[in-house]
Amino acid sequence: MQSGCRGGQYHPLSDHALQDIHEGGLRLLEEVGIEVNNERARAAFARAGARVEGATRVVRIPRRMVEEAIRSAPKSVTLYGRDGRDDRYHLILEENRVYLGTGGTAVNVLDLEGVRRPSTLEDVCRLGRLVDAMPNVHFYMLPVYPHDLPPEDVDVNRFYAGLSSTPKHVTGGVYTVEGVRQTIRMAEIIAGGAGELRRKPIISFVILAISPLKIDDLYGEMLLEIASAGVPVIVPTEPQCGSTAPVTLAGNLALFCAETLAQLTLVQLVNPGSPVICGYVGTVTDPRTMGYSAGAVEMGLLNAAAAQLAQYWRIPFYGTAGMTDAKVPDAQCGYESALTTLLVAMAGANYIHDTAGLLDFALTMSYEKVIIDNEINGMVLRALRGITVNPEHLALDVIREMGPGGEFLAQVHTVRHLRQELHLPRLSDRQPYDDWVRAGARDTRRRANETARSILDAPPGRVISEEVERELKRNLPNLRAGH
Amino acid sequence: MLELMRKLSQAVISGDLEGAAGLAEQLLGDGAAPQDIIDNGLMPGMEYVGAQFRKGEMFIPEVLLSARAMQKAMDVVKPHLVSGNLPSQGTVVIGTVQGDLHDIGKNLVRMMLEAAGFTVVDLGIDVPADRFLEAVKIHRPQVLGLSALLTTTMRNMAAVIDTLREAGIRQAVKIMVGGAPVTSDFARTIGADGYAPNAVAAVDLARSLATS
Repeated sequence: MQSGCRGGQYHPLSDHALQDIHEGGLRLLEEVGIEVNNERARAAFARAGARVEGATRVVRIPRRMVEEAIRSAPKSVTLYGRDGRDDRYHLILEENRVYLGTGGTAVNVLDLEGVRRPSTLEDVCRLGRLVDAMPNVHFYMLPVYPHDLPPEDVDVNRFYAGLSSTPKHVTGGVYTVEGVRQTIRMAEIIAGGAGELRRKPIISFVILAISPLKIDDLYGEMLLEIASAGVPVIVPTEPQCGSTAPVTLAGNLALFCAETLAQLTLVQLVNPGSPVICGYVGTVTDPRTMGYSAGAVEMGLLNAAAAQLAQYWRIPFYGTAGMTDAKVPDAQCGYESALTTLLVAMAGANYIHDTAGLLDFALTMSYEKVIIDNEINGMVLRALRGITVNPEHLALDVIREMGPGGEFLAQVHTVRHLRQELHLPRLSDRQPYDDWVRAGARDTRRRANETARSILDAPPGRVISEEVERELKRNLPNLRAGH
Repeated sequence: MLELMRKLSQAVISGDLEGAAGLAEQLLGDGAAPQDIIDNGLMPGMEYVGAQFRKGEMFIPEVLLSARAMQKAMDVVKPHLVSGNLPSQGTVVIGTVQGDLHDIGKNLVRMMLEAAGFTVVDLGIDVPADRFLEAVKIHRPQVLGLSALLTTTMRNMAAVIDTLREAGIRQAVKIMVGGAPVTSDFARTIGADGYAPNAVAAVDLARSLATS
C-alpha cells in the first residue's frame, strides 16, 4: 500500500500569518467564548476554571487552558486496520504524513446503473468493497446514511458494515449516544477486548462543532462518551465563508482555531492524553445561491492553511479535499477533486477525508467516482514523493553507456526503477486513438463503471470470522448479518 | 534438473541477464539437451512474461529485459544445438523512412520482433527508398516494416511502396507501416498490407503477414 507519503511542500501561510490566525483563535475563545449546549461539558469547563455564563451557556476559555490541552493531547495518533497486527493498514497521524480516504455522510448514491437514489446499508458494504480494492484510498470513512434502518440501529450497523467489508481503518460520524456505546462494544469484541481496542484502535469517530462557536447538546454528549472511552475522536468544524463565517479566508481560519481547539480542550479536560484529531471542513458559500460549495478552490487553500496550523500545534489533523459540486463524474468533477486533493496533500494534512467518491455537494456518493478518485489520489501521492536525486537516479553512467542516439528501453536500470519512479495509471487511457476506438471508445466514466462492476461481481472475502460474528450477535441483538 | 529449469524460467521472467546465462551453462554441464533447455526453461518463462504483459501486469521495458535475458541464455545454448541454428519465425526488414531521424518506436518494434523469434534486419533511420528495395532483394524478407513519426515524412512510405512496385517485387513481400501519425486508413491509401498502432500489435501483425 502506498501510504504515509510526506506532504509539507506547500505553505499558504507565512510564519507571521500563522501566528496571527492562531492568536486570533485563542482571543475568540477567551473574549467571545463558545456556546456549550451540553450541561456535562459546561460543568467540565467550569471545574477547570473557565468562565461559564449560565444564561447564555457561553463558556469563555482562558488561553492557558487551551495551551495546556494542546500540550496534553498526543502528538501522534496511530489508527489501525481491522487486524491490529497487520501493519499494512496502520495510519500514523503525525507531522506531515498524508493519508487519503473516503468521507461522509451522503444521503444518496449514484449507482452503477446511473440512478441517483437514497442510500442503504448494502451501499455501505458495497462501497467498502470498492475501497478495499483501491490502493490509493487508505481508510474507509463511512460514506452514506442507511435509510433502510431505524435511527437507533444506524451507528452500530454502519460501523459493522464497514469493518466487515474492508480490513482498512474505519471512521464514521455517529447519531445517538447509545449507538456510540454499542459501536465501541462491538469494536472491543472484534479487537479482542477493551484494552486491545485502546491500544490499537480499529475505529474512530467524528464529532462536528457548529459554526460559528457552538457545541451541540447531543454531539457534546457523544464527544464526552467517546473521550471517556479513550477511543480516537476527530473534532472538525465547518465554517463557511460568507454565511457561518466571515467571507475572508483568514476569518474562517480563526473560527477553525477557536472551534476545533475548544473541542480538543474539552476532550483533554475529560480524559487527559486521550487521542484527539483536529479537523476542518471549512469552505465557501456560493454568493449566487448561498449554497455550500464542495469543489471550491478556496476549500483547498483553507484546508492547506489549517494543516499548517495543526502542524504548528503538533496535533494530528483531519483535512477535507477531493469533493465536487458536479452532479455526475464529468470534467468538473475531475478538476475540482484533483485540485483540492493536491493542495491539501501538499500541505501535509494527515488524514484527508472526502477524497474518494463524493459529488453533488457531498450529498451523493458515486460508485464510479471512487474508482476515478483512486487514480487522482495515486497521482497526488506520486507528486508528494517528489524527485529523488542521487547517483543512481541521476543515471549518468547509464546515459554514458548508451551515448548519443542510444535508448533506455531494455536496460536493467529502466526495469529496476520504472515501477517506483512512474505512476502507472490503471484507469486513465493512454492508448493510441485506433486502439481506443477498437476497445469501444469508452470514456473515463464508463471505464470506471466497468472496473467497479468487475470488483463487485467477484465474491466478497470474509473480513470478520464466523466465530467473532456469532459472538457479536450474542451481544448486540440489533446487529444485522454481515454475511 | 527440473529445479534448475524452473530457476531458468524465473531468471527470464525477472530479466536476470547473468543468472539466465549461468543457469543455461549449468544445465548443459549437467547433460541437459539444448532443445530441452529452450522448451522447458526459456519458453515457459517467456510465455509467462507474455501473459503478464497482456494483463497489464508487466511493462514493455520489463518484457524487453526478459527477452534480453532469454537471448543471453540462447547465446550459451545455440552452439550446442545440432543444426547450430534456431528455426526463425521469418525475416523482417525494418527502417525509418527518408527524412525522419526518429527511431525509438522502430527500435522497440525491432526488439519485440526479435524477442518473438524473428530475424530482423534493421536499416536504421533516414532510409531512402532505394535502400529498402536493395534490402528486400538481398534478404528476401517475408515482411517489410516502415516507420515514420512526422506527418511530413509519412508520404515517403508511399514512395517506398511505389519503388518496389516499379522494380516488380511489390508482391514478393508484405508491407506493414507504423508510427504516431499513421492510421489504418492511411495504410490502406498507400497500399500497405497492414498497420500496427504499437509494438505489441506489430509483432502480431508480422506473425500473421509472415504466414499468410
